[in-house]
Amino acid sequence: MIDKSQLQKKSDFLWEIPMTTRADMRVPAHVYALPEIIESMSDDRSLQQLVNVTTLPGIQKAAIVMPDIHEGYGFPIGGIAATLYPDGVISPGGIGYDINCGVRLLVSNLEYDDIKDKAEQIAIELYNKIPSGVGKGGEIKLTQEEMDEVLTEGAEWAVRKKMGFAEDLASMESMGRLKDADPNAVSDHAKKRGFDQLGTIGSGNHFVEVSRVDEIFDNLTAERFGIKNNQIVILIHTGSRGLGHQVATDYLKIMLDAMPNYNIKVPDRELACVPFSSAEGQNYYKAMCAAANFAWCNREVITWEIREAWKQLFPNKNELQLLYDVSHNIAKIEEHEIDGKLQKLIVHRKGATRSFGPRHDEIPERFQETGQPVIIPGSMGTASYILAGTSQSMLTTFGSSCHGAGRALSRRASKRQVNVAHLEKELNEKGIYVRAGSRTGVAEEAPEAYKDIDLVIETVHRANIALKVARLRPVSVIKG
Amino acid sequence: MNHYSYHSHTADVIMKVRAESLNELFETAMRGTGNLLKNNFCKQTAASSIEKKIVVHSVDLIALLIDFLSEVLLNSHIDKTIYCNLNIVKLTDREIEATISGSSVEYFDEDIKAVTYHEADVFKQKNNQWEASIIFDI
Repeated sequence: MIDKSQLQKKSDFLWEIPMTTRADMRVPAHVYALPEIIESMSDDRSLQQLVNVTTLPGIQKAAIVMPDIHEGYGFPIGGIAATLYPDGVISPGGIGYDINCGVRLLVSNLEYDDIKDKAEQIAIELYNKIPSGVGKGGEIKLTQEEMDEVLTEGAEWAVRKKMGFAEDLASMESMGRLKDADPNAVSDHAKKRGFDQLGTIGSGNHFVEVSRVDEIFDNLTAERFGIKNNQIVILIHTGSRGLGHQVATDYLKIMLDAMPNYNIKVPDRELACVPFSSAEGQNYYKAMCAAANFAWCNREVITWEIREAWKQLFPNKNELQLLYDVSHNIAKIEEHEIDGKLQKLIVHRKGATRSFGPRHDEIPERFQETGQPVIIPGSMGTASYILAGTSQSMLTTFGSSCHGAGRALSRRASKRQVNVAHLEKELNEKGIYVRAGSRTGVAEEAPEAYKDIDLVIETVHRANIALKVARLRPVSVIKG
Repeated sequence: MNHYSYHSHTADVIMKVRAESLNELFETAMRGTGNLLKNNFCKQTAASSIEKKIVVHSVDLIALLIDFLSEVLLNSHIDKTIYCNLNIVKLTDREIEATISGSSVEYFDEDIKAVTYHEADVFKQKNNQWEASIIFDI
């Protein structure tokens, strides 16, 4: 069992498990974390999982994990693995069950003083407008033809159906559409799971949160992002819902069955993988792209639902502009420098956010000087952050950063330990109103269930893989 | 005696299952999954109005149990149904052919995203009892 005693300190924020630790490692493992995070790391299997990731055929440079590390399935959450294109492997476990789970941030033209007396009303109105909760379907029921359109077009579908603005598309990673998507690679079962889930947030740690900008760390970048102190912004955190979960389930089985054909053995079934160039690899990639498109369309439709609610809440001042939409569970084909040469890679991000720096072709014109916005949601009683991507991240982490606080307690442990009535009272006293489908959902996502997000953010800031721009504090939270 | 129990895992739930036979292990695991989707549903509901035939092939017995539960979960999501009863026609280490039956529900209490292979295990104890552990992504 690999544990933290095997970590070798490289700097105040970087630790390494060298290749000599286990015979089957192809590259070292890198852990980004401040010493305080390492000290408080639980003895879960996350480091063992990280070392397992180093064994993937075609992996380059290092298996990397962010400071919000915790145990996942096969891959640790917070993990990044880049394999050589086109014959390195693609692994559904390196993307996760919730394909293109991600976050977007809407910027309003309101200040905290404009809404502070309405926090509870906002929570109620948004809760009524946005379908949320366990397996909850929405108003939109897609026909088979429409589903294929969504899987192909991504967020463009919502814009075409007047449920989004064309200018939103430029503010999304990959403009809200992966062109390699093929709806034929997605099973009918997966499509059936998703047919009524467009425009819904689901349950678990997914949410819509109205927040106020609480502190600005970098005035110049904040200004370029259009962010001001005390401004009201809205975070949306959700993904591809049941459709994505089923795509992952379908292809994990396909890959487990197919691995012997490629003489691939992995130390954990959830690392099941095949060469990207193989038929199974290509089909999964096309299906994953389709599920990612579903997720972008989902977040765009939710944005439309919020804009509709906002018009009712604030008839005269209801502008909501999309700052950016980032994915934290995805695989992308990207170019990065390996041994001094630009190399095409399959970059898996599982609980890790892209963090491209200034002057990168993939990011919109308006962020060319600042780097892309990196949006990191915290738990409902603490803080969320807006960061900016850096050139350094391109050299060290395949242009990636963290994705959240990272769980410290299991959902069941949270339910046992958290008194929901007490928690709600405590949040209300802080001016935070929560509207949730169930009280257990609130308990599962209590602040004490998560690690200290400030330490996570401090790590990526000091490592210069994403730089702090602004901190957000919640006002109204909608949960499933 | 057939039995299942739920335990904590970092972000999710482990279900431990014990049964007198392999057939009963599959049925008990299926009922445990149903009761997680909706609290104690299979303990309280005897009627089964919806029936489905399923056939699953897998690389080995552990994968078979996970793939079988994934198939049941998929049907639960699509049909908004909790499946509590299992009639096995054929069960080997790599194949199950069965009829599952259950009742429809308006909503689930828990959203099981997936039945994972993570730390999954199926084994026979010295006393001939079968045991399994399954982690759900919720």
